Amino acid sequence: MEKAVRGFDMNAPNKMKPKAIVLTGYGLNCDYETDYSLKLAGAESYRVHINEVISGEMGDRRISLEDYHILVFGGGFSWADDHGAGVLMASKLRQHLGEQIELFVRDGKLVLGICNGFQCLVNLGLVPAFDFQYRERRVALTYNDSGNFIDTWVNLKINSGSPCVFTKGISTLELPVRHGEGKFYAAAEEIDRLFENGQVVLQYADENGQEANGQWPLNPNGSLKDIAGICDPTGRIFGLMPHPEGFNHYTNHPDWTRKKEALARQGKEIIPGEGKGIRIFRNAVEYIRTSF
Amino acid sequence: MVSRLEIRLKNELIDAEGAGIRQKSREYFGFEVDAIRVIRVLTLDIDLKPDQLEQIRNEIFTNPVTEESSYSPIAEGFDWLIWIGFRPGVRDTAGSTAGEAIKDLLGIDFKPDQAVYTSKLYEIRGQLSEEQVKKIAGDLLANDIVQQWKVFSVAEWDKDKGIGFPVTRVILDHEPEVSTISIQSDEELGRISLERNLALQNRDIPVIRRYFLREDILKERKMVGLDLPTDVELEYISQARSDHCNHNTFRGLFRYHDLLTGNRETVDNLFKSCIEAPTLKIKEEKDWVTSVLWDNAGVGRFDDDHYYVITGETHNSPSNMEAYGGSITGIVGIYRDPMGTGKGSKLILGMYGYCVGHREYEGELTPHLHPRRLLDGVIEGVRDGGNKSGIPTPYGLLFFDESYVGKCLVFVTALGIMPATIGHASSHKKTTSPGELIIMAGGRVGKDGIHGVTAASETYSEHTPAGHVQIGDPYTQKKMADFLVEARDEELITFITDNGGGGLSSSIGESARFSDGARVDLDKVPLKYEGLDQWEIWISESQERMTIAVKPEHLDRFMALSAKHAVESTVIGEYNDSGYLQLDYKGKTCAYIRMDLLESDFPQWEFDAQWTPPDMRGLTEPVISEPEDHGPLLKAILSRPNICARNWIARQYDHEVQGSSVVKPLVGKGRDMPTDAAVVRPVLGSNKGIAVSQTLNPSYSEIDTYHMTGATIDEAVRKTLAVGGDPNHLGGLDNFCWPTIEYHPANNPDGKYKAAQLVRANWALRDYCLSYGIPLLSGKDSMYIDGNLEGPYGERRKVSGPPTLMFTVSSVIEDITGCVTMDAKFPGDLVYVLGETRNELGASEYYQMMGAVGLNVPTVDVEALWPQYLALHGAIQAGLVSSCHAVSRGGLAVHLAMVAMGGELGMELLLHLIPGFSGLTVGQALYSESCGRFVITVAPEKKEVFEETFSGMKIGRAGVVTESTRFSVKDGLEKTIIDEDVNDLKHAWKKPFGDLI
Repeated sequence: MEKAVRGFDMNAPNKMKPKAIVLTGYGLNCDYETDYSLKLAGAESYRVHINEVISGEMGDRRISLEDYHILVFGGGFSWADDHGAGVLMASKLRQHLGEQIELFVRDGKLVLGICNGFQCLVNLGLVPAFDFQYRERRVALTYNDSGNFIDTWVNLKINSGSPCVFTKGISTLELPVRHGEGKFYAAAEEIDRLFENGQVVLQYADENGQEANGQWPLNPNGSLKDIAGICDPTGRIFGLMPHPEGFNHYTNHPDWTRKKEALARQGKEIIPGEGKGIRIFRNAVEYIRTSF
Repeated sequence: MVSRLEIRLKNELIDAEGAGIRQKSREYFGFEVDAIRVIRVLTLDIDLKPDQLEQIRNEIFTNPVTEESSYSPIAEGFDWLIWIGFRPGVRDTAGSTAGEAIKDLLGIDFKPDQAVYTSKLYEIRGQLSEEQVKKIAGDLLANDIVQQWKVFSVAEWDKDKGIGFPVTRVILDHEPEVSTISIQSDEELGRISLERNLALQNRDIPVIRRYFLREDILKERKMVGLDLPTDVELEYISQARSDHCNHNTFRGLFRYHDLLTGNRETVDNLFKSCIEAPTLKIKEEKDWVTSVLWDNAGVGRFDDDHYYVITGETHNSPSNMEAYGGSITGIVGIYRDPMGTGKGSKLILGMYGYCVGHREYEGELTPHLHPRRLLDGVIEGVRDGGNKSGIPTPYGLLFFDESYVGKCLVFVTALGIMPATIGHASSHKKTTSPGELIIMAGGRVGKDGIHGVTAASETYSEHTPAGHVQIGDPYTQKKMADFLVEARDEELITFITDNGGGGLSSSIGESARFSDGARVDLDKVPLKYEGLDQWEIWISESQERMTIAVKPEHLDRFMALSAKHAVESTVIGEYNDSGYLQLDYKGKTCAYIRMDLLESDFPQWEFDAQWTPPDMRGLTEPVISEPEDHGPLLKAILSRPNICARNWIARQYDHEVQGSSVVKPLVGKGRDMPTDAAVVRPVLGSNKGIAVSQTLNPSYSEIDTYHMTGATIDEAVRKTLAVGGDPNHLGGLDNFCWPTIEYHPANNPDGKYKAAQLVRANWALRDYCLSYGIPLLSGKDSMYIDGNLEGPYGERRKVSGPPTLMFTVSSVIEDITGCVTMDAKFPGDLVYVLGETRNELGASEYYQMMGAVGLNVPTVDVEALWPQYLALHGAIQAGLVSSCHAVSRGGLAVHLAMVAMGGELGMELLLHLIPGFSGLTVGQALYSESCGRFVITVAPEKKEVFEETFSGMKIGRAGVVTESTRFSVKDGLEKTIIDEDVNDLKHAWKKPFGDLI
């Protein structure tokens, strides 16, 4: 439905265009804006139904994961989130696409799981994947301590020591969270290991980038150690609860009318354009361009 | 063999659900519970081998990190156990998704009667009596209408047997049959109608009998094997003629009599004269108005390539019975209207409005659900319905009034967007043609929503379906929505409409009018369970279904797409041009009705409407001297239920999904002030947006519904303009909720007055829509907002809700980057009040607080206000406005304070500089609810240009925004009348519901 996105250099002739798949269907729901964000970042992105990836048929065309570089498990309520968020989706994907996804990962490609997608990655075992074991459930995302769904913006502290390719060059970021089951939970030794390996990518923080220390609503769900996002040991699989695609335009930010006024007082104008969440997708696109 | 899997969180994890119930037990009943932990139960009525059972337990249903599970009872260390499960036939989505996952993992299929059922066990720890535990079970956790429950004490608990194996399969054991109905006399048909609960209207009965006795009709019917009317036929006619489907009240004849002037007037058809006529006139003038008054929703132009679609309705009675189920069914149901508008639209936004009794209600009457529980339930229902549909919910209202204990109101509103053209045709056009197939897609049909009243009075058995109150299923619908957008874009859909009230009878009955006929095989309609009679299949209101017309050559592709999306679609008949609606069951015709029967001359409903003007009713202005302590007074008003913060609702609604959010429900420095209007950018590559706002002011109805309507429309207009809405593009949506207006000397003695109130509200609707240029893109009416509540002495008392109009305004914004929010931005900014403050405190918050009603209700003079609105729009577009806020309930003091609170900054204000101050007392100036007013803040360097824009208009520079957080107001004599810290004001405003999450 959207018009073609213009204004970026993805059409430059000598630049390779990474191909991305955003999964859809079975109650997933952030597919349009995730697809839009990837296109803004310079990818050739497609919204593809889970059943199309499984059957390998998209209309009268063949579709295979191996022809793509970035696989996105987006937000939503897959299978209504009954029996645990992301649980039934993981079961379906493990059953039908487990090996294909593992191959995709071993080919050095990128997997991004956002919110429900993160919950699915965790249930598949694609993260944290200690020792490159991509089928073990070692951590969990469970019910928010508050007991309710929450929509709020959070400040995130980004671990510069992490191998995560999606967050290169970003030290803090503001994004919206929107979930009822986002509390990161794992046994203490697993959490220690995540930190040791640099696999903790995002932590909920205050305005100054200091960890939230569990304080609500800075840490909106009671996540242990304020963990908001983790990656696999390679840094090429990244799961996070906040929604980078939810900050695709500067008017998505809750303070944009205030910032606009503040700039106006300095005789400046706000620079219209994309939101800072797009940087996550740009990093992915850049990585593929340099690696493939 | 049946097995039962029990799953719970490991002990070291916080059980947030249990903690929530513990908190509610304290809040609702004052019970101190030590701990509550929840066990999820799956009853598997499937034959599985032991290794299969272990496989699904480990691979699907137990998270090794957080959960533990067993096929044996796992409850332990409790004082009490509560078990809660659904009644048979209630939608158990989690049961069906569990089934899906099991089939997928094990590669098996279920037999027709095999299924998975979910239920819950609550381990209660604490010193509670059995009675207290039963109260928690029955009055907090379960609703008898849709659920069943049991309480176990430690002594009663058999830890080997546990809860047994609850299987809530529906077994009807009934062979479907068609019966014929005798029509020998009007009286006899009337009697049978009552007996069978056909709900035929007495005045319609002669028309129906005449039809079935016509020679030509008898002859034609004989040819298809029919003689006397069948139950299927009469149920169909009854549905089509109901007030819900046909809007008989709004199309009625009103004999209006003004008791003061003696003036008598006959008002023929409020819908035609006050809604249709003005809207068509405005449509002529505004080329953005695309399609109104016939489809499931109205359509307006968004840009060259897109239309937007808007509609709203209420779901009052079901929510009043089962708050969660009613409201989730309401929000999910309203989303089907845009899906079924034109060739179908994609949903972009939802809104809500709740009118309930006070949360702390302690009156003598016993409503079915206490307002607090009811409100919690409706909030949660809309939360799950909206969030799980992937549609942002960025706006809503909550209004408390004692008289809503009779029946609560739950408003739901939906917006969609669609490409302006599909193929080569405009997307808002659709029709059915002979030869096209009738397809039902989505959910299956059960006894849901059939004759709600009879169902409620039937005795429950273990296997009786509890169908009259439903639980909406956003998951099934979301899959269908994804599917339909794709089918539309592939040009596979020629007509689409939803199955709401009246089910197939309404969706097929109405769509067949275009082709002039249809034939349906009722036996092909997929059922939830066997044993439904033909008439039940035809009128069932089972949710999540659409009816679609597809050309035969497109069927294969349509079905392939449907399968891809895991959506059930079934061909159940075809459209034709026979002039008849023919229903067959297993080859035998059970209904054969001429398409034009419903257009024949059914008698119009008639009402006596008697208007007693407010002063004749004895209303006067109250006698209140000038308050001496305005500071504490302001804080007290800010803490009142209809003024204070209700942020906990907005926060649990996903208002940003789809990535389109521009102005959020909560704005300002602390992101905690309600916005005037929400703005979204539905086409992500474009800077065009849509602003929406909603208002309701039922308190004013106590004085005059004409002015209630005027004030409500004006407020919605101003709220939309305040964020940057375009005065030349204002779309309207009217949702009327009215008490019964049919006079009855014993049951409704003030019916004539209520009828006059309805007439007057409609007159105002007509007048203000014409003068503001607002086409009514859509609207609905919901009558009968009355309840008969049990009193303490075995009596029942009738409680009628106040006449209520929710008005919605939508506006397309050319460039959203020019939008403004309501919060003060910078110290030193100038504070302007635009619009005149008058002595208009009738039914105001201030008078209510003083226990008075008053007489001087706010009135709206559009001619005077319009130039100010245009100037404001110009100023916002020119970037002169730093913040803008419409003054509404509570008056200037409240709304100036809100602007200051939004910026967490102070204000210094001089009251005598507001337009209209002379002649008012300080109290009047602070708390009058005059319409047409805004609070605007402006950067000092823009002062001259800004003031020039408004030269000659009613605007006053009343003060300045300050760095210090003092909110200070001086009167005309430079005497300080309010001097409060903004943080204290905010604290007072947040306090009442501050603890809710």
